[in-house]
Amino acid sequence: MRGRAHPQPCHRLTDAMFAPLSRRRRVLPGFGLTLGCTLVYLSLLILLPLSGLAVKASQLSFAELWEVASGERAWASYRITFGAAFLAATINACFGLIVAWVLVRYPFPGRRAIDALVDLPFALPTAVAGITLATLYAGNGWIGRHLEPLGVKIAFTPLGIVVALTFISLPFVVRTLQPVIEDIEPEVEEAAASLGASRWQTFLRVLLPGIFPALLTGFTLAFSRAIGEYGSVIFIAGNMPLISEITPLLIISKLEQYDVVGATALAMVMLSISFVMLLAVNALQWWAANRHRPGAAGSGR
Amino acid sequence: MSIEIRHIGKRFGDYVALENIDLHIPTGELVALLGPSGCGKTTLLRIIAGMESADCGQVLFAGEEATHLPARERNVGFVFQHYALFRHMTVFENVAFGLRVKPRKMRPAEHEIRRRVDDLLKLVQLDWLADRYPSQLSGGQRQRIALARALAVEPRVLLLDEPFGALDTKVRKELRRWLRRLHDEMHISSVFVTHDQEEALEVADRVVVMNQGKIEQIGSPDEVYSNPASPFVYRFLGNVNVFHSRLHGAWAEVDRDSPSVDAGEAIAFVRPHDIDIERRAVAGGLEAIIQEVQVIGPRVRVELSHDAELIEVELSRERANILSLAKGQQVWIKTRKLHVFSSPLVAMEEEGSGI
Repeated sequence: MRGRAHPQPCHRLTDAMFAPLSRRRRVLPGFGLTLGCTLVYLSLLILLPLSGLAVKASQLSFAELWEVASGERAWASYRITFGAAFLAATINACFGLIVAWVLVRYPFPGRRAIDALVDLPFALPTAVAGITLATLYAGNGWIGRHLEPLGVKIAFTPLGIVVALTFISLPFVVRTLQPVIEDIEPEVEEAAASLGASRWQTFLRVLLPGIFPALLTGFTLAFSRAIGEYGSVIFIAGNMPLISEITPLLIISKLEQYDVVGATALAMVMLSISFVMLLAVNALQWWAANRHRPGAAGSGR
Repeated sequence: MSIEIRHIGKRFGDYVALENIDLHIPTGELVALLGPSGCGKTTLLRIIAGMESADCGQVLFAGEEATHLPARERNVGFVFQHYALFRHMTVFENVAFGLRVKPRKMRPAEHEIRRRVDDLLKLVQLDWLADRYPSQLSGGQRQRIALARALAVEPRVLLLDEPFGALDTKVRKELRRWLRRLHDEMHISSVFVTHDQEEALEVADRVVVMNQGKIEQIGSPDEVYSNPASPFVYRFLGNVNVFHSRLHGAWAEVDRDSPSVDAGEAIAFVRPHDIDIERRAVAGGLEAIIQEVQVIGPRVRVELSHDAELIEVELSRERANILSLAKGQQVWIKTRKLHVFSSPLVAMEEEGSGI
């Protein structure tokens, strides 16, 4: 009898544990189906290729992997890739904010045309962008011609990489910020002005805190996009090892030499660094968004 | 501080928002700008606040020219209909904002800011909400915080744009009385915009009735209600029955004291509560048939028809009980008080006001 009675409470316990998940009625139907879709989709598109990468990389021992990934040329390429991407995203955070602000706030003739222009970097084949920029900024190009005498060389230098990355990542910042800026009531600015705040104070204390989480999102998107960019960069960078060679290019050149394992090792390193950085930025973003939320921890005066 | 408005005009494209407005608001007075939407009252308030610029005319604060002074230098407190609180700041920081943005030399010390904000929050009876965020407050609470925020900079003038428009009736009534008390304690000039005549009549020292960019009448609440200067004011400040005296010769009989006007050119205005109903024929009374009897709280509204015209009468409940009115009954109505305007005046404004 005892032996028989035993499983029952256990059964009931598991029932009670799973009941909230499976039996509770949801107000919005379709949770199970959509979550299933999401998981399958993400697995097929993202997890599967990435785990393939990890499996390939695991053919190397850690020492071998380290040797490939920490070569002088590799280090230089990390520095240039992440450095240039960071710089480009930062530049876009500043100017993208201004562009978004102008497009939302001020009605002027041609606003729609300019608004459409912002999306061009999305649509343009990146190689075309790279070639165009390289032509413009080369020593004999329209812009490079005037910069050369000043001692500024852009095309075929790391600076050129920053220019290309800035170009391709601009829409991310602008498009993320626009709806958020549209959401700000003009009355809030008027209230600040009537309380004696200057324009600058109004921007810093009233507007920026509201925009900041979106600005961070835009920055993150631009940054991630710039890290992975290949097409436009190779045309303007000059691709000199140790100076203007980006990691994606290094990976391609390893593949061209049939050094698949070496390429995988570099890819793994890039993946890990990107993942950690994105995680950090996301945490920052979460903090910025929740800092001013009711009930947030540590929200003092 | 007194406010003087001289010949202010404002257009938006072809639309005339304000036309030649003259208004003097003495120190310490609570003035209501009353009118239907689109009459220019909010534009006028925003011009006083410096958030809108006038096309012509002058604004003077305490006799000093202030027409082109930017909003931040006017030292006016402004309260918005939808509160316009800073979402990412606590209630405390919202109220402290005006003090914190002062230039370093004029900025009070931190403990002084703290004391003043605490005092203000006590004044609006919300000191227990200091650490909350605006999204956690009710509409009435938000508006009181907005008021405390506006008062923090010790403004010389308090301007309120439909301050209670977004609140429900009960809260609105409470806040009205509370605003009146607050105004009396603070000794400042206040101007508030409203389209609610009850609100204007209850709270204000003086009511400025506006229509289509012009001032129709300025006067105490009793004055504008009892002696409306124009048919528009009469209509806007409550329900009204309009009688074309040419059609109703009998009415001239009833009201012997009113200014004698040629029967063909005058139109009589009577408020629904200035009409009495009798079950029997009375001298000078008008025959009418009851169409509808509606009990609305303590009042009873009776709709009657006389010839082709509908007449609205408002009675107290007791009176209605005594009469025991029912649909279809034939009764006689008698007016206690009526107002006669010459009909060209009425015709002139009937085109646009839509009241």
